[in-house]
Amino acid sequence: DGYARSCGYITPESAVVSLESSFTAYCILSDYCLDYGNLRADKVIWRIQTKVVPKEHYSIINETVSRVTFNDTSILASPLTCNILVAGSIEQNIYGIQVALGFSPDKPENLSCIVHQLQTGRKKYSQTCTWEPGRYTFLDTNYTLKSRWPNEEFPDCLGANNSCTSTAVVFFVDLEVWVEAKNALGIVESDRIVFDPIKHVKPLPPSNLSLNSGELPRVLKLSWENLFHEAPLELRFQIRYKIIDSINWIQVPLEDTATQRDSFFIQDLRPNTKYVFQLRCVTSWGEHWSDWSKEVVGFTAED
Amino acid sequence: VQQFPDTESHIHYAQLGTDVTLQCGSVDRDAAVTWTANSTDLDASHLNGSRLVLRNVDLSHSGQYSCYEGSSWHLKYRVNLKVGTPPKEPALMCRSNNYPSGFYCSWHMPIPTYIPDTFNITVMHDSKEIVCDMDVSLKNRCYIRYLHLFSSKKYKVTLTVTNALGSSSTSISFDEFAIVKPDPPENVVAKPIPNNARRLLVTWQYPSSWPDPDSFPLKFFLRYRPLIIDQWQHVELSDGTTHIITDAYAGKEYIIQVAAKDNEIGTWSDWSVAVHATPWTEEPKHLTTEAQGAETTTASTSAFVVPTTTSIGNSEEQGS
Amino acid sequence: RQSIQQTYDLTRYLEHQLHSLAATYLSYLGPPFNEPDFDPPRLIGAEAVPSATVDFQEWHSLNDNARLAANYQAYSHLLCYLSTMDGKSPVAMPTLRHSLAHFRASLQGLLGSIAGIMASLGYQLPPTPTDGTPPLRSQFLRKMDDFWLLKELQTWLWRSAKDFNRLRKRVPPSAVMLHLESRGF
Repeated sequence: DGYARSCGYITPESAVVSLESSFTAYCILSDYCLDYGNLRADKVIWRIQTKVVPKEHYSIINETVSRVTFNDTSILASPLTCNILVAGSIEQNIYGIQVALGFSPDKPENLSCIVHQLQTGRKKYSQTCTWEPGRYTFLDTNYTLKSRWPNEEFPDCLGANNSCTSTAVVFFVDLEVWVEAKNALGIVESDRIVFDPIKHVKPLPPSNLSLNSGELPRVLKLSWENLFHEAPLELRFQIRYKIIDSINWIQVPLEDTATQRDSFFIQDLRPNTKYVFQLRCVTSWGEHWSDWSKEVVGFTAED
Repeated sequence: VQQFPDTESHIHYAQLGTDVTLQCGSVDRDAAVTWTANSTDLDASHLNGSRLVLRNVDLSHSGQYSCYEGSSWHLKYRVNLKVGTPPKEPALMCRSNNYPSGFYCSWHMPIPTYIPDTFNITVMHDSKEIVCDMDVSLKNRCYIRYLHLFSSKKYKVTLTVTNALGSSSTSISFDEFAIVKPDPPENVVAKPIPNNARRLLVTWQYPSSWPDPDSFPLKFFLRYRPLIIDQWQHVELSDGTTHIITDAYAGKEYIIQVAAKDNEIGTWSDWSVAVHATPWTEEPKHLTTEAQGAETTTASTSAFVVPTTTSIGNSEEQGS
Repeated sequence: RQSIQQTYDLTRYLEHQLHSLAATYLSYLGPPFNEPDFDPPRLIGAEAVPSATVDFQEWHSLNDNARLAANYQAYSHLLCYLSTMDGKSPVAMPTLRHSLAHFRASLQGLLGSIAGIMASLGYQLPPTPTDGTPPLRSQFLRKMDDFWLLKELQTWLWRSAKDFNRLRKRVPPSAVMLHLESRGF
């Protein structure tokens, strides 16, 4: 019958092997081979790629089955082949399998989420959760971010680069979030965190800053436009300023700018001096300050 | 206009700018009579027989007109002429300054009629009429008590004004939440904070007309500026009735006002009464030679007084 | 750990969101629906939408269970209806469609929060509508129903803000938290 019939096969067919456990494979000779060339299990030679596997790893189960075991799987590589000596000296390959080595996934740690206010577009916010995957697994490993309310599951978010972003953000409702890590060697879940996305909002920084010296010497009035408007939330601010060529920023005490506002008087400045100002904001419930705004430059009046 | 043939004082209403003919009661049309206006004789040019004709009357024509028979000065008829206009559309406004107890409607005549008007108001809600209790102290105002809250159906208020020369009406319809406008906050007090040249403590109270602050909390809007500057600064406060102004300009007198609004609905109140305050300033020291020396030293170094702010190096402090 | 304070803030947030959403939707429906004085009769379809109107004294004297249950039942109905809102009429504007979807998700969150609080306080959840889909009606009547839905929704959110303002002052947070933890949340 024109095709060379296979003399045997290896089980498992293909293997994903943990670097932390032993591995056993079986080469099972077919009856056809037994009759054809008096090929028995004791004639089997195991190879990792081209290297012969030392005999001590072998054991004969019966005349058609040879077993190989590796306690230290780190020496394994692809292919693992089962070969047999034909007519005493010719080595004939019977079968080979691919072996993938790696680790089962570690439990993802330090899961945290932040909600970015988006500059443009229909979607106003995007929630990005990040985590630490632990050791490298050397295997295809899927990280899936799962989220739910007590009575509603949300679609999985397939992670990439240990993070996942979603634009379906609902404020003022506690969200339970966790990561599921899964590869051929195992599946594990991170700890679950429960948070209200509103507390993780990182607002856009105030914009359109302007400085007005007006009639008051040694004073500049900083005005700005707030881009975050989500009643009933309010904003708190942090203002810093310095003389144009100085390296030291001077910061207005946080308690002075702890209410929703769009201007502030900075006093006790040097007359007739060029100052640069910046400001950032955080929501009244939030933990994440916005980035610093663009700088604005202004002159104080002469005394 | 009907005439009454007796000497009792009658009232005759006439529209501004029209011609008016006054009849001398039941006296014969051609009888000789004398007419007086507020006891002043009127010359014969105004007479048409025994009738008095007044052309293109104006407000000054209002007054008491008396008709005497021939030269006997026997009073035959007396009439009080009131010149005015038929009512134009009245201005009607409804507002709830004591939500959720109820709301009041008040009205006025943008264009006076100069003659007595009578008002009739009907309030309809959900196809039912609701009583509008006239205010005993305030004219042209009545009060409606809410029987139901949180209605999505509009209230419709119709005011009809009538006087002898005509009538007019106006209707407004509004949602319950749209007319909620608290009275301004009360007892606004602003005080300097000792040892702090840039702070002012502002306190105020809920308007006393707001009946249930617990269930219907108000939020507040505070504005302040130094007297020497025209532009206001604003701060919005979601709860509480106190605020510390933290960027008051040292030594400058400030004017401060507060407004209030229901947390969810309606509009802002008018601004409160303005209060004035000047931030705390250090007492001028008793200048003795020694003190003066010290003062000079202090003065020379205070050209650039580092403000009570924290100075941070250029190392970028990570916010989040 | 959904708290009453959070739910209170959610109602205020939604009430604020609905202001702009309703204005956009009504202007999408076009005249007369977007005219300020438009005051149409309330037709049968719209009757299915539970009214927030309540007797003055009754509202003040509602106990916590009744207050929560009224809210829960209202939003169960309103959500059912809201989910059909852009299903029939072709909502041309993607921005509006997105806002509607986001609003619906938030309202679903509100419903879940109310359910969570009721369960944590040991209250039974009231029955919810089986079939919320409104009967097939003409386009104009459909728009009329949408008009009344938005109006009722706005009124309910305004009422809920007051309801939860009362609840957060009357129900100690610990009462809610204790039960929540026992439910393993």
